Amino acid sequence: MLRFLLNRLGQSVVLLLIVTVITFFLINLAPGGPASTMRMEASPEERQAMIEKLGLDQPIYVRYIDWITHAVQGDLGISFTSSEPVIQRISERLPYTIELTVFTIVISVIVGILLGVLSAIKRGKAQDHIINFMSVIGLSVPAFWLGLMLILLFSITLGWLPSSGVGSRGADFDLWGWISHLILPVLILTTTVLPNIVRFTRSSMLEVISQNYIRTVRAKGAKESIVLYVHALRNALIPVVTIIGVLIPRLLSGAVITEAIFGWTGIGTLIIEAARGRDYPLVMGVTVMITIVVVVCNLFVDLVYSRIDPRVKNV
Amino acid sequence: MKKSKWKFLSTLLLSVVLLAACSYGGESTTTSGEKEDGSSSASGPKKGGKVSIPIVADPTFNPWHPNAYAESNVINRVLFSGLTQPGKDLAPSPDLATKWEASEDGLEWTFYLRDDVLWHDGEKFTAEDVAYTFNEIALNKELGANNASYFQKVKEVQVVDDFTVKFMMESPVAALPAYLSFNTEIVPKHIFEGNDPWELTSFNKKTPVGTGSFKLKSYTSGQSVVLERNDDYYGETALLDEVEYKVLADANTHVAQILSGELSIFALDDLAALDRIEKAKGVTVEGRETTRFFWLIVNQQVEKYQDVRVRQALLHAIDRQNIIDTVLKGYGTIADAGIAPALKEYYTDDVTRYEYDPERAKELLAEAGWKDTDGDGIVDKDGEPFKIDFEIGIQGDLEAVSQMVQQYLVKVGLDVKLNAMEWNTMIQDVVVNRDYEMSLNWWRYPADPDLSAYMHSNSIKGMNIPAYQNAELDKLLDAGAQASDVEERKGIYLDAQKLMADELPYMFLWYPQEAQVRVDKLKGVPELSFGDALHYIHEWYIEE
Repeated sequence: MLRFLLNRLGQSVVLLLIVTVITFFLINLAPGGPASTMRMEASPEERQAMIEKLGLDQPIYVRYIDWITHAVQGDLGISFTSSEPVIQRISERLPYTIELTVFTIVISVIVGILLGVLSAIKRGKAQDHIINFMSVIGLSVPAFWLGLMLILLFSITLGWLPSSGVGSRGADFDLWGWISHLILPVLILTTTVLPNIVRFTRSSMLEVISQNYIRTVRAKGAKESIVLYVHALRNALIPVVTIIGVLIPRLLSGAVITEAIFGWTGIGTLIIEAARGRDYPLVMGVTVMITIVVVVCNLFVDLVYSRIDPRVKNV
Repeated sequence: MKKSKWKFLSTLLLSVVLLAACSYGGESTTTSGEKEDGSSSASGPKKGGKVSIPIVADPTFNPWHPNAYAESNVINRVLFSGLTQPGKDLAPSPDLATKWEASEDGLEWTFYLRDDVLWHDGEKFTAEDVAYTFNEIALNKELGANNASYFQKVKEVQVVDDFTVKFMMESPVAALPAYLSFNTEIVPKHIFEGNDPWELTSFNKKTPVGTGSFKLKSYTSGQSVVLERNDDYYGETALLDEVEYKVLADANTHVAQILSGELSIFALDDLAALDRIEKAKGVTVEGRETTRFFWLIVNQQVEKYQDVRVRQALLHAIDRQNIIDTVLKGYGTIADAGIAPALKEYYTDDVTRYEYDPERAKELLAEAGWKDTDGDGIVDKDGEPFKIDFEIGIQGDLEAVSQMVQQYLVKVGLDVKLNAMEWNTMIQDVVVNRDYEMSLNWWRYPADPDLSAYMHSNSIKGMNIPAYQNAELDKLLDAGAQASDVEERKGIYLDAQKLMADELPYMFLWYPQEAQVRVDKLKGVPELSFGDALHYIHEWYIEE
């Protein structure tokens, strides 16, 4: 087990290094540096002053070495656009994205597994077709379109829900204000995540209930609910855990479109700001954070896997 | 089993809907829901309420900071004050300075300051603050401050006494009071002194201290900036309690939020949503004059564009009125020269005009030697077809407009390749590297007819992006910049406009009107562009 962990840690460090090199060079080579983000009216002197101030007159490899030397010491640099530490900017935004992720995953897992099981045991029947149809719709409808439609319906026409924002926090916290702001973005994210879980649960469940040991359990006269939920589901969930492990980092790295539409100030909107402002240190910081999230989630899935299915051994 | 599962799901759904329904009307994010005293009468300005204004990104509370863009300007001009501000007729009017005068030779400008101004932290505002702002920030070349280019002719600012300053000039600049009304607010010396003005994040990003009619109440990165009334304001105390700026990156969200009553006012950039807003109840869209002109430029370092007939042909080829009617939905008037009708004293339309006339365009091209000799539909000269690389940045209506321009130019036999690119890339290519052939964009300038910065030959490295050079125009622009008498300037700029229209340093397209979107219950907003109206935010009020 220890060897497995050390091995994975080593791989992760190499992965992280590769990701930072690629990102650093890509963003620096993209046309239009930070000096181009200045207003059109800026004079050549103003642009030059900015380039020198940000150290962009140095060769790119010198800048990368400088960045990585600081990064390994936990210093991700200062954001070009706000002059605040990158770590501070990320930690301000991350909790909002975690909020969306937690709600989305909890709802999607509960509803997704229920619908997936239902769809499997009603295979070929009306319920199965309806669930499949809805899953396809959920997967195919673009988030930005659905988001705008929901705003049109719930915010403008009905006036029930706020069209964007995150609600009041801190001293003015108001529970309904918070929930009302969460409903639409969580709904959108759920429509993209839920179908994956439903489909995985369904196919995995179908595979398991055709196994011999399930037939044996049934032959022994066990109640159908025991057969399904005690014997079949536990084994059917193994692949589902994998897909959840893939979905969590996707959500945590910021649902860019959903966050932008709903003015949700999480990592997704931070990525947009960083890219738009050619804020190199912030882009790098967010990239490092996302990479770490992906690596940790994958490791976590592997560990959970061996708990659910003792046949899987991490060595 | 299955029945109970369905029951659970439907109950969950029903309860969400009920919860939402119960909250209808109880939500407190509307623009004015906070004051419910009900005590005042139905008409006339009332104190209280708040307005919500969208901004697209986190602001920087320092008007001179290179990262302070439009989203910062709309806040900074409320938090801070300048020496002058745009008057309701757009001419510079008093703000921190009560009056100003230029010396005979125009090399010294004296500004007399108010003596009753307090910074938001209670310190007294003095001439030292003005001198610090200019000498240490605006005129410090190493800093590359925003808008510093307007003050290139200022040598230094001298403190005469506590409430008098002198701007010492290298050469006369008649537009100085107008420049001082344009994003050039004064910052407090007692906070900045001894600090790098760009690194002072405790001020620039957290707790700005200004002299404006509102002061900072709270700021949450990525969400909102809330300002509250400054009761110690030197002018008339504001009527509104609060001004909230909401960080909303997506323009569609702005439209959705003003329709749902969550926003109060903004200038609509993309007019595609106009019909939807115009149909909505409780929201009004009004056209407002601005000091802007849209232009099409050709790089005059490239030989074929140095022939004025080619530039005239390009303008004849474009049906500008049709673009104004369709893309701009009527919010604009055809431009003949650079000085916008908003500058009523100086504007004239008595100049050469270029009607939509593709035949005339072809004639002019032929006169310049460009004819379709090989019958391929593209005009050519010395065997070279007339190819144009047309580079634009993607923002607002620019792409839609440019596509139409491209079509019009193709019709008169030009081979135009449109390359719509991300904004920063366009800036890099067109503005920084000058590696372009044709581009389309606009200028917005302070309310003064001095357009030297955009077309004087000594601005070729600056904002004279087409690299236009004309000694006669230079002379007129110099004369206009130096003349202090308004009547004299009028005459000069009349001549300058005629010359601009004849020679086309820029192919002037139109003077856009701002489509100002406002909720009906917001009153007291003067008939100015949104940006200028913010200088009068203390007069705004909410009428239920």
